[in-house]
Formats: sequence, C-alpha cells, structure tokens
Amino acid sequence: MTSHAAVRALVGGIGVVAFLVVGAIVTALVLVALGLPAESRADDTPPTPAPIVEPRPTELVVALTLGDPVLQAGAVRDGQVILARGLEVDIARDLARRLGIPRVRFVYVRPASRLLAAKVRPWHITIASIRPVRAASAVADLSEPYLGTDQAVVLRRGLPRLTALGDLQDKVTCALRGSDGARAIAAAVRPAVRPILAPSNDRLLQLVQTGACDAAVVPAGTVGRFVIDRGGLLGPVTARVELGGGYVVAVTRGGPIAVAEVDRALERMRMDGTMHRLARAWLGIDPARLRALR
Amino acid sequence: MCVPAANPIAMKCGVFLTFVASALALAGAADAGVSVWFVEGEKPVSVVRNGTTIESAVRQLIAGPTPAERSRGLRSAVPRGTPLLSVTASRRIVTVDLGARFAAGRDAKALRGRVGQLVRTVRGIPGVLAVRVLLDGGVPVGLFPGYDLRRPVTAAVEPVHQQTTMRDVQRQLVDLGFMAPSGLTGTLDTQTSTAVLGFQKWANLSRDGSLGESTVAALERATRPEPRFRAPGRRIEVQLRRQLALLIQDNKVVRAVHISSGAGGKTPTGSFRVYRKERYSWSVPFKVWLPWASYFTGGVAFHEFGSVPTYAASHGCVRVNHYDAEMLFGFAETGTPVSVFDEAAV
Repeated sequence: MTSHAAVRALVGGIGVVAFLVVGAIVTALVLVALGLPAESRADDTPPTPAPIVEPRPTELVVALTLGDPVLQAGAVRDGQVILARGLEVDIARDLARRLGIPRVRFVYVRPASRLLAAKVRPWHITIASIRPVRAASAVADLSEPYLGTDQAVVLRRGLPRLTALGDLQDKVTCALRGSDGARAIAAAVRPAVRPILAPSNDRLLQLVQTGACDAAVVPAGTVGRFVIDRGGLLGPVTARVELGGGYVVAVTRGGPIAVAEVDRALERMRMDGTMHRLARAWLGIDPARLRALR
Repeated sequence: MCVPAANPIAMKCGVFLTFVASALALAGAADAGVSVWFVEGEKPVSVVRNGTTIESAVRQLIAGPTPAERSRGLRSAVPRGTPLLSVTASRRIVTVDLGARFAAGRDAKALRGRVGQLVRTVRGIPGVLAVRVLLDGGVPVGLFPGYDLRRPVTAAVEPVHQQTTMRDVQRQLVDLGFMAPSGLTGTLDTQTSTAVLGFQKWANLSRDGSLGESTVAALERATRPEPRFRAPGRRIEVQLRRQLALLIQDNKVVRAVHISSGAGGKTPTGSFRVYRKERYSWSVPFKVWLPWASYFTGGVAFHEFGSVPTYAASHGCVRVNHYDAEMLFGFAETGTPVSVFDEAAV
C-alpha cells in the first residue's frame, strides 16, 4: 500500500482530527527519541546548548551605599563593608538565609549612581533604597517593594486621630520642601489652608511640636525615628497617605539569583512577621501597618 | 600655618610625619595633665586627668567618669570597654582606631555624643588640628548622625541648645504663639522679652524676660499652650494665676499674651462676652486714654497700657502691651466669649 492510499484508509477509518492528533504524538515521540528540540528539526540547525545554570554561590554579595543610620550604615575598608547595620542590612541577611546562601558580604559602592551605571557589577543584589524607575529596571531585575514610600501623618499634640483624608483639609499641614510629602499634600489632601514647606526635617518637626503646624506629612519609613527622638512632644503617628511604590531589591542580571526567588523570600518575610519585626526595630514603627487614609 | 615649637606635637610646616601617638611626649603638658570630656545633662564638661599622651587621654575617656564624678552628674556616651586599637598622628591629624563597640547602640543622641566627646578630648591636646575616627580599621559611614567621618573632624557638633541663635529663639516663640511673626528681628528687643515673659509664665519659670539657660532649654521642649476648657469657635481664656490670656480658635491656642490683671483680685472671674469696643476709650475714674479697649464686663476691658508688669497690677482691667494690643483688639470681636479664672480654682 502506498502512503497516499494509507492516508485515505485512515481518513476513512478514524477521521481527519484523529489522524492529526496521532501524527503530532508520533512526531513528538520521534523528536524526543532523537533528543532534538522541535524547532531544530524544521530548519535543520544545530541543537542549542542548554543554558548554563550558575551554581548556587556560598556567599551573597550585596552592594550598599551606606549613609543612613537607620537603613544602612557601616565601616568601610578597601571597598568592603566590615561592619554593616540597618534595616536594609538585616533584610539582606535574612534574604540570604532564605535563599540558602550561608554567608553575606557587603560591598560599598559610591557614588550611588554607580549601582546602576557600572558596566561590571561584581555583586549579586543591591539593596539601597532603590525606586523602581525606568533607569533601574533597564539594567537590573527589580523585586517587589520591601518598604513602601507612602507618607505618614504626624499630628501635633492634642489633636484627635484622623479617620479620613478629608479631616486634614482644614488643618495646617506641613512637609519638607520638594518632598513626596509636599506632593502628597498637593495631590491627595488638597488643603483649604496653605501648607507650610519646611527647609529641613528638624524645622518640620519643630513646627509640629510647637503647634505652628497641625499635621506633618513625612515618609512613613522615617517617621518613627522622629517621633522617638521627640519623646512625647508630638502627637501620634496617626495614619498614612498612600502614594504607592516603594524601595526594591535590584538583582544583577545574568547572576545566580533570580528575582522571583527574591520576591518569594520577601513575601515569606512579610507573611511570617520578620519584616514587621525588623521595621519596628529599626524604624520605630511598621509603616505597612499604619491605616491608610482615604 | 606653622606650629609653635613648644607645641607637643609640633611639626615643621610641610613636613609629613607619621608616628605612634603614644610615643608623643606632651612636653609642657605633663604637669597639667590631659582634659577628658564627658557630659552633664547635655552640656559638655571637661575633667583633668593625669597623663601625657593622646593615647592616655583616649583611654581615660573610654574608662568614663569616676564614681565621684558620676555622683556629680557626669556621664559618658562612650561604651565602656571599647577597645582602643591604635592612635597615630600625621600632619597634626590624629587617627584614633577603635573597636566596633564604639558604634554600639541605636540612640542617635548617644552616638553623636560619643564622637563629640572623642573629638573634644583629642582636639583639646595642643597642636591637634583634626581627628580621624576609624572602627576596626574601617571608615565609618553613616553610623554617627551629625558627623561625616569619611574625613577628619575638626570640631564637635554642639548640642542643639548651644546652637540656638536669637533668631531661633524668636522663631520658637512665634511658632508657640507667644509672639507675632513681626518679632523675628534677630536681636533681643523688648518685643522678644515680652514674649519670653509670656512663655515663662506659661512654663511656670521665674518671670524675668531674660533668656537664661533654663528658659532656652524649656523652649526647646515646649509645646503649644493648651486651653483649659474645650469649646468650639473663637474665645479667650484669661488665666489669672499665670497672668496670661489665651486667644483660642476651635480649641487651638492661636496666641498666648502676657497680661497684667487687677491687683488683689479686682478682675472678676466668670464667663463673659465682649460687648463694647473702642479704639480709644477714655477712663473716667482714672482720667486716662485706654487704646484698643475691648470691654467684657462692666468697666473691665482688655486694653493697651504702657506698664504691663509680671504680676496683677491694674485697677481691674486686663493690661496688654503695645505689641499685642491691636492684635487682641482684632481677635476679640463683639460677642467673643471671655472666661476669666484662677487656674487653681477650676
């Protein structure tokens, strides 16, 4: 029987659809037996080598910029951070543990622009208050945020807690000049009274302490330390104004760490309370647990 | 700049020398000892210790105050037991390498304070221009708020209250509601003194109108005066014991005004309302013009007067100084509630 006749017999017996299904299965089995990818057979090109999977490192190399006593600070010798501490440092250490990497080495990168601009990045991840802007995502894989950049509201003493964004409209609000807080006041609060824009954080908190300002809008990540520094001279950190976004981990492309792994680890840190504990320890409050004003 | 030859770590200009500081004989300073800096409250205080070298000064700084000094209130922010790894000097810049314990703790004030103590102690040694601090041989970055230790430090950061300028004080008085923004002049004038008096009354400090240490310290920690009662709208509270009038809008004190009420309890206590206002009011019994008069009961009014002492001195009216009288007159619209009370009695 010729192949043409056989086809006709099959068509007559089990139909076109069944024939095509069987044909596809047979083709796939043959290809698997030959060990070739499907597309290579079609154009007869040589087989593509399997991607090289970098072995899991025994040391997670983390780039830091240092400079913030709460987020990351340390002592630097020959480009290595020999003493590192801060919220981001602790997050990096916890990440390494969850990624199954026994050791962490911190390297100091200055200026901060080098983190993303450097052609060679001899580190696996960067954790340095990076925002997921286009320039960052063009050169590195960015994780989900580990710390939000929402703004917190600190009231002067004697004011009742806020329940809605509208409660702020008739108050004297204040923020650092040119800050996200100032933008949040303009975009989200839209106050009836002209806000005060302070030139420094000290001045800003002084305004709230003295009651010249009713409510300061400051980064949720830094509000805890101000309130702690000022003892009982300020009212409560009452809520936050949502801006969205946050600080992300930049994962070096082509390295042994996948951003999905980092995301999973960060999620587990959130779920098991590690992030909350670290935030409380370093920031004084956990910004994620402040009620959002709407 | 050349260093005087008698200087203990004198070096010729332009000559680069490095040597271990413990080898430095502080000739001439041996008899006097070394000054080691601690703090009393927030105020830096030095004590003299035996010793002739920079190293001995730093070691005694780390050792902290003696029990006798502690009982006098001296404290140190430097953690006891901080290892001193080395002290070297080069071009009159002293490098102090300490163990990581020096950075222990998270309290910003303590971290800033210990660097201040170290810098004062080392800079206090004649001839030292600057201090470089290392931790385990590394350069501290961001560990000590207020200091950039990536380069040598020439001076300690002063405690906040010692940085206070007259303009800072005035700004604080304005922010707290004791003075109008027009009082921001940068000089200690009568308007500022009047506002200081008002603040001293509120804070129960001695009423002298001068900016002594206790007043400046109290100002730094002051919060805006709170009304005694809560009620909506615009009103005035006259606190007889403090001799203060609080101008209140929706439970927020917008201004606190230094006043002098009736001597011997001649200003009646109770709840009243402003019922008559006169730009110039002629006082028939006392034959005197009373500018910016706002009457709230009988012949009792808020008004401007040349003499507003720190105590109750009037015939029953509430005297207000020149700086606040017009503002108070504008605030006290007809019908504005006025509560007059002795704080001890309510």
